[in-house]
Amino acid sequence: MSIRVTNLAFAFPKFSLRVDELAFESAKVTAIVGPNGAGKTTFLKCIGAVLPTAKGSLFIDGRDLAALKSRERARLVCYVPQEHDTTFNYSVSDFVLMGRAAYISPFGLPSKEDARAAAEALDFVGLTGYADRAISEISSGERRLVLIARALAQQSDILLMDEPTTFLDPKHETEVFELVRKLAVEKMKTILVTLHSLEMAVQHSDQMVFMKRGEVVAHGNSAEVFQESLLESVYDMKMKIIDWEGRKIVLR
Amino acid sequence: MSGQNNKRAQGLAIFFLILPLFLFLISLSIGSYGISPRGLLKTVLSVVSPASHPDVPAAYRDILLRIRLPRVLLAMAVGAALSVSGASLQALFKNPLVNEYILGISSGAAFGAALSLVFLGRAFPPQVGGFVFAVVAVGAVLLISGKAESHFISLLLTGIIVTAFFSALLSLVEFFASPYVLQALFFWLMGSLSLASWKDLYISLPLIAVGLVMLYFLRWRLNVLSMSDEEARSLGVNVLREKMLVIAATTLITAAATAIVGIIGWLGFIVPHLVRMMFGADNRRVVPLSAAMGASIMMIADDIIRGLSSFEIPIGIFTSLIGIPIFLVLLKKTRKVWL
Repeated sequence: MSIRVTNLAFAFPKFSLRVDELAFESAKVTAIVGPNGAGKTTFLKCIGAVLPTAKGSLFIDGRDLAALKSRERARLVCYVPQEHDTTFNYSVSDFVLMGRAAYISPFGLPSKEDARAAAEALDFVGLTGYADRAISEISSGERRLVLIARALAQQSDILLMDEPTTFLDPKHETEVFELVRKLAVEKMKTILVTLHSLEMAVQHSDQMVFMKRGEVVAHGNSAEVFQESLLESVYDMKMKIIDWEGRKIVLR
Repeated sequence: MSGQNNKRAQGLAIFFLILPLFLFLISLSIGSYGISPRGLLKTVLSVVSPASHPDVPAAYRDILLRIRLPRVLLAMAVGAALSVSGASLQALFKNPLVNEYILGISSGAAFGAALSLVFLGRAFPPQVGGFVFAVVAVGAVLLISGKAESHFISLLLTGIIVTAFFSALLSLVEFFASPYVLQALFFWLMGSLSLASWKDLYISLPLIAVGLVMLYFLRWRLNVLSMSDEEARSLGVNVLREKMLVIAATTLITAAATAIVGIIGWLGFIVPHLVRMMFGADNRRVVPLSAAMGASIMMIADDIIRGLSSFEIPIGIFTSLIGIPIFLVLLKKTRKVWL
């Protein structure tokens, strides 16, 4: 599914986001990067309708997102938060099952089909056997995978992942990105990821969007748009890109 | 959880779910005038068919039908109502400390019911005034605290202020009450089942039943609503509408219960915790088991009051004195995280 953004605006008291025109292609991974406070998460939350937007500013396969009901929208697009701060200690399977909320009436219970979708999602992220574990008893890396599993159980074609690898060690970070790639290739998901790691962004994405002070300053094919001059102007500091065995390393 | 543990938990859950039925029968035979199980059965049969058991004393029928049955039914209903209300509100506000008292529902309901009793008399159902002011109180707490769902301190402080305000209004009502009404009011406010009558039950029981059925069907949704609002919205939940639904149901059952038994503050807080300690956080289990355990605890407490003491200790005081130490012991013994 493709996303089209046109004249999107959102304002907090001391910050405003404005994106005039932008499109995200189907089954591609797009990395959204930029300094702190650039509006990456706000942009992602607007696309996920977690924050309210005006009608006519966001279209998914031509359908106006703001005109859709909560459940219809959740079947198209899913926002995966950075970290889940759990108050109640649900089991991993109960947690992933919540991804089925868009398919279940408010007064209903999950069906066997919902339970199967949740179990499949858990298998896909490699956490088979974790179903009965309590969410508080697993590591933060595993918890990220559980969040992704819940998003998979939601079966929306668009996944919006907010800094999915923050605080993860390099091994888990790589595992999450391999999973993201697998989702785009095997499940044909359109994935938008906000990131701070520029190396990871350029290595694992097809497209990149650079943001600064609530606006998109550049976007395009990752390999082409990733230039020293752009990085320096976005981050206001001296940066150098080095090619190492086909990978790009940023020195600063 | 291993298979064996799972089976044990299931067995325990079934035990707690059927416990209220046994306690219901036991409670009917306990009291200052004891009726044996055999006598109880005979009395029930004589009510169904008076000619079949002419030897049953008329006093048995009177005690059973006019005094014990409404009282035990009320204990069950109130116990279930307050416990399910607490479990639902804790999930909804994503905080295990929330209960109907903190949200001002109890004090609003108490003020409304007292106002009704003092100025309109017992002929007018106090549930109406209770519900109206419970809605006013919880509405005030939610409106004043703003986006309180994500700022617990703000919610807590507003709840304390609104509760204090309604307590002051209640004192004002007490000031204007006649000495006779004041005595009844005082006893009722401490939480008492002794005023239970069929007339009260005819109004409160259906209201409590409607609220309980609503929350029972919403029980899985409570899991989703216990996520952050942003997460719930992303999962496809119409957060505002579904929150209002849960608040309406909890306000209804709390007001209906408080209007006849007064304030029983700790039950809605402690029972859901006990259930989560034993059966985990999934509200598909927490809601029905809280209802069963709340009903059981209220019946046991009332049985002790009626069976052991010659004078009536208000159940609100009794349950607090017994329940809180039990909770503290469990808290210390249970090392695993259950929230």
